[in-house]
Amino acid sequence: MSSIKSRVLRVGAWVLAALAPLSALASSRFPQPQFDSGYVAEKVAYPMPSFAVTPVVDVLMLVAALCMAVFLVRQVRSRRWILFFGLVCLGWFGFIRQGCFCPIGTIQNVALALFSGVRLPLAIALFFAAPLIFALFFGRVFCSVVCPLGALQEFFIVKPLRVPKALDAVLRVIPLIVLTVGVVCAINGAGFIICRTDPFVGLFRQSAALPMILTGMGVLLVGTVVARPYCRYFCPYGVLMEICSRISWKQVELTPKECINCRLCVGMCPVDAIDAPRTSLSDRVRGRQFRQFLSLLVFFPLIILGGAGVGYMAGAGVAELHPGVSLVSKWQGVAEADEDQFPEIEAFKRVGGTLAQAEAQALEIIDRFQDGCMISGALIGLILGLRLLVLSKLQGSQVHQANRYRCIACCRCFAVCPNK
Amino acid sequence: MKNNKGEKLTRRAAVAWLLRGGTAAVIAGIVAKVSARPSGERLVWQIDPRKCIQCGRCETACVLQHTAVRCVHGIEMCGYCKLCFGYFKPDAPRLDEAAENQICPTGALVRKFIEPPYFEYMVDKELCTGCGLCVKGCTNFGNGSLYLQVCHDLCVNCNTCRISEVCPSGAFVQVPESEAYLLKEKLPRT
Repeated sequence: MSSIKSRVLRVGAWVLAALAPLSALASSRFPQPQFDSGYVAEKVAYPMPSFAVTPVVDVLMLVAALCMAVFLVRQVRSRRWILFFGLVCLGWFGFIRQGCFCPIGTIQNVALALFSGVRLPLAIALFFAAPLIFALFFGRVFCSVVCPLGALQEFFIVKPLRVPKALDAVLRVIPLIVLTVGVVCAINGAGFIICRTDPFVGLFRQSAALPMILTGMGVLLVGTVVARPYCRYFCPYGVLMEICSRISWKQVELTPKECINCRLCVGMCPVDAIDAPRTSLSDRVRGRQFRQFLSLLVFFPLIILGGAGVGYMAGAGVAELHPGVSLVSKWQGVAEADEDQFPEIEAFKRVGGTLAQAEAQALEIIDRFQDGCMISGALIGLILGLRLLVLSKLQGSQVHQANRYRCIACCRCFAVCPNK
Repeated sequence: MKNNKGEKLTRRAAVAWLLRGGTAAVIAGIVAKVSARPSGERLVWQIDPRKCIQCGRCETACVLQHTAVRCVHGIEMCGYCKLCFGYFKPDAPRLDEAAENQICPTGALVRKFIEPPYFEYMVDKELCTGCGLCVKGCTNFGNGSLYLQVCHDLCVNCNTCRISEVCPSGAFVQVPESEAYLLKEKLPRT
């Protein structure tokens, strides 16, 4: 009797012992057996993340590259050296550091951190800030060749055509939309859209899905005739660079001596960033410009309101980028029998969710997106309005000058200037 | 910018410096507000195996051609089932190593004989494609000791993980780099 009892106890103890390390499990259907051969499972090693360089090195390299770019653009003034430096930056920031993080993508990290309160590593915040601070003082030297995306496109400019002014003005709305939608998506949990639309990161990693490779190649192909298409008509960081460089301390100096207005640089500039001298305006033209300015001022609030309205209406559409909203659209269009073919629906149901709950959640998300897009629309309206207002400025330079916010400091104009 | 209209330019310059200083202050303020101390740990991507529903997207969605997600075996949890639900197809003709009996499409789950009737199951990381077929079997019918993890010798740690964006169950989370794995055998009960 006692032996049976002790056996039961012993088995129980064994089961308990076997289960002890597993107590954390939700369910362990089969207890581990005892091995007579003395088998002990090998410990599996899990390799830890190995970052080749520390964040400090990353930030230092960026700042050093920016300083070098300023030196090359302002002191050396050599297209050849800028191109060589572009290769270096493309190698380091592009292929070695694989283009991630990049200042363009950090817009979203910073926006998310601002709104969610989660702190970022300082390195990421500095990656966001450093090029902007440099732009405040020296213009868009980051865009020149420090940015690996810019450097890559720089090498593919073959025969840049002039983009018609009207088309250019329309296309330059796209970066504003990308920036604001990217921020709205990032802070509302719809992922990092800006990173997803990076055309070249697959090339830098040398591993990408086919659509990404094709987009990247497409952008480079377009870039042979329209210089820097990503930088000018898509890059959301370019919007911030534009704001900072408009008030920059220094700008690219076309010639260290006196400009003789030969217009050679105008033909050379691939991004249409050289302002021709303004002839002094007649009083009639000045009056017309002034009236134009006043009427624009009257319309200014309307532009902002219109932007906000368009933003609000687009909100529901943009919200489809959020998985919670796309889940509902999918779910509503699916017959009940087919629901198990959609992992999203299955996952949602597995934690006890119903369609009604998903719909309620989606409505809330759509609400937030509509608010966000309304503010975005108003901001876009504000910037567009300001762009229009600036058009009617009366003062101008007497000589050719690099346009502060368009010039990406590629240094082509230095080589062509006869007045060295 | 010096010319005979000195006074006017000075006023403009002063306004410009004010604007510049203001913008710089805004940028610095943002940096101060969003950043943690420099020692702030980097975050890396990982799969929470408690949320994973083995939809199979890890295999294809990763930006790497051969995904950074692999099946791992938490051997402390393994029940050493005679009919391993992660190894054998439900309709396997025979319980041996022949390819037609195995769930794993690449033969990445390898077994080693211990003693009758037990086998040890291990994942060949070179072969595993992170499809999660074995994980599904083991989770649904066994102890769930096979599960998916992001392998950090492979992951390039994108700013935004491509798989996390298509993960249907929100199982992709960011964890501090010092605790880069969410090992099922060490996780608290859900």
